[in-house]
Amino acid sequence: MVVVALVILHFTLYRFLVRWPAMPNLLVGGLLLAALRMRAGYAAFLGFGLGVLEAAMGLEGLGTTSLVLALVGYLGARSRDLLFADARHYVFVYLFAGTWIAEVSLILAMPGGPNLLGALVLAPVSALGTAVVCGAAESVAASIRRP
Amino acid sequence: MTHINVGRPENHRRDLVIVAVLLILSWSLAGLDSSQALGLTRVLRGSVLKPFLAADAAYEQRAGLATRAARLETERDDLYIRLQGATDLERENRELRAQLSLPERSPGSFVVAELVPGRPSIGDSHSFLLRSLALVGTHVPTGVSIPDGLVGVLRSISGGTGLGDFWTHPDFRVSVRSATGGATGIVRSFVAEGGETLMLVEGVPYQARMAEGAILETAGLGGVFPGGIRVGTVIEESASRSGWSHSYLVEPAVRPGAVRAVTAWNRASFVSGSAPQDSSATSFDEVVEEGGAVDGL
Repeated sequence: MVVVALVILHFTLYRFLVRWPAMPNLLVGGLLLAALRMRAGYAAFLGFGLGVLEAAMGLEGLGTTSLVLALVGYLGARSRDLLFADARHYVFVYLFAGTWIAEVSLILAMPGGPNLLGALVLAPVSALGTAVVCGAAESVAASIRRP
Repeated sequence: MTHINVGRPENHRRDLVIVAVLLILSWSLAGLDSSQALGLTRVLRGSVLKPFLAADAAYEQRAGLATRAARLETERDDLYIRLQGATDLERENRELRAQLSLPERSPGSFVVAELVPGRPSIGDSHSFLLRSLALVGTHVPTGVSIPDGLVGVLRSISGGTGLGDFWTHPDFRVSVRSATGGATGIVRSFVAEGGETLMLVEGVPYQARMAEGAILETAGLGGVFPGGIRVGTVIEESASRSGWSHSYLVEPAVRPGAVRAVTAWNRASFVSGSAPQDSSATSFDEVVEEGGAVDGL
């Protein structure tokens, strides 16, 4: 439920979220949270679909965005076994690292060549925001599920 | 957060097959040409993304309504003054051409369209959608401009929607000449050291010079852009010099960010015998042969 809400929120607030590159990336955050509950293949498929939608919304990088998000979904689901533990901060670290990797990959793959400022400064700030917002949303949803 | 039960044991091999198929699909999507990408984008924007785009359009329409009205009023007054000057200029031009026995000047017609800029969440926007029912039948690729200057190139059209690239796109090229006709070159986008996107005119013949402040306009070679559209102003000679040619940094005439209403050149209505007479070639066909498809590659 929280994943669907994050994705809908991402497309609803798209105008404001893309205005500043360092804003939280709710789409990648939602995908990473979904990947925690899905098989790796399905997570990759979800990432691919979300990537195509994202590219259609932004009119850029149809192949690149779908490829990167498919890989993020797959790796997110596979890394669950390696990283996951019964602790809250693991989700935070997982969201932060996943978003950073996704954003740096997208920045490096976009036309016009690599943007070092984006990769080294804006991407980690965005990843931090994503981890905070999506981690908090996940915690709230978990507390509602298990009062 | 507590441990999440992931269900049955995973079949890694099947997952890998799914990922491999998705990678191939992504690769195919990356290889789509402009018209195919536009088709897919249109389907998605007209179905799944429609509610979000409708909400966004409604917000944009309401936000800053007063500001837009004031700007439109200013533009209307400005256009009225220009129209008054243009009427006299047109008459004088017709009379002079008649005296010199030149054919009627016919640069083709223009289609007014609404421009929707791309807004990628990562990176800069290089693409745009054009919306106008009058776009149907327009030949592509074709130039997109506003009265201030060149905006970009329209790549493909499907129904009343077109997909194009701003001049900031890394693949964009346009042949230019100085307004005085003294030098020619090819313009592309160029990211300066501070991260600002400028233009770079390359291939200026060694013996020709472009002075600082010289105005560059489209040369009209190749038949993609009409001649005489302002492209930018020369800032200084670039440090990068290749062989027997010069390069110059150019301040663009138009920054694509705030552009919303544009005109697309309908070159279907261009009369081949009435090519710009100040170009070096004698007829439009020769110009196309010599220039090839250098414009908007």
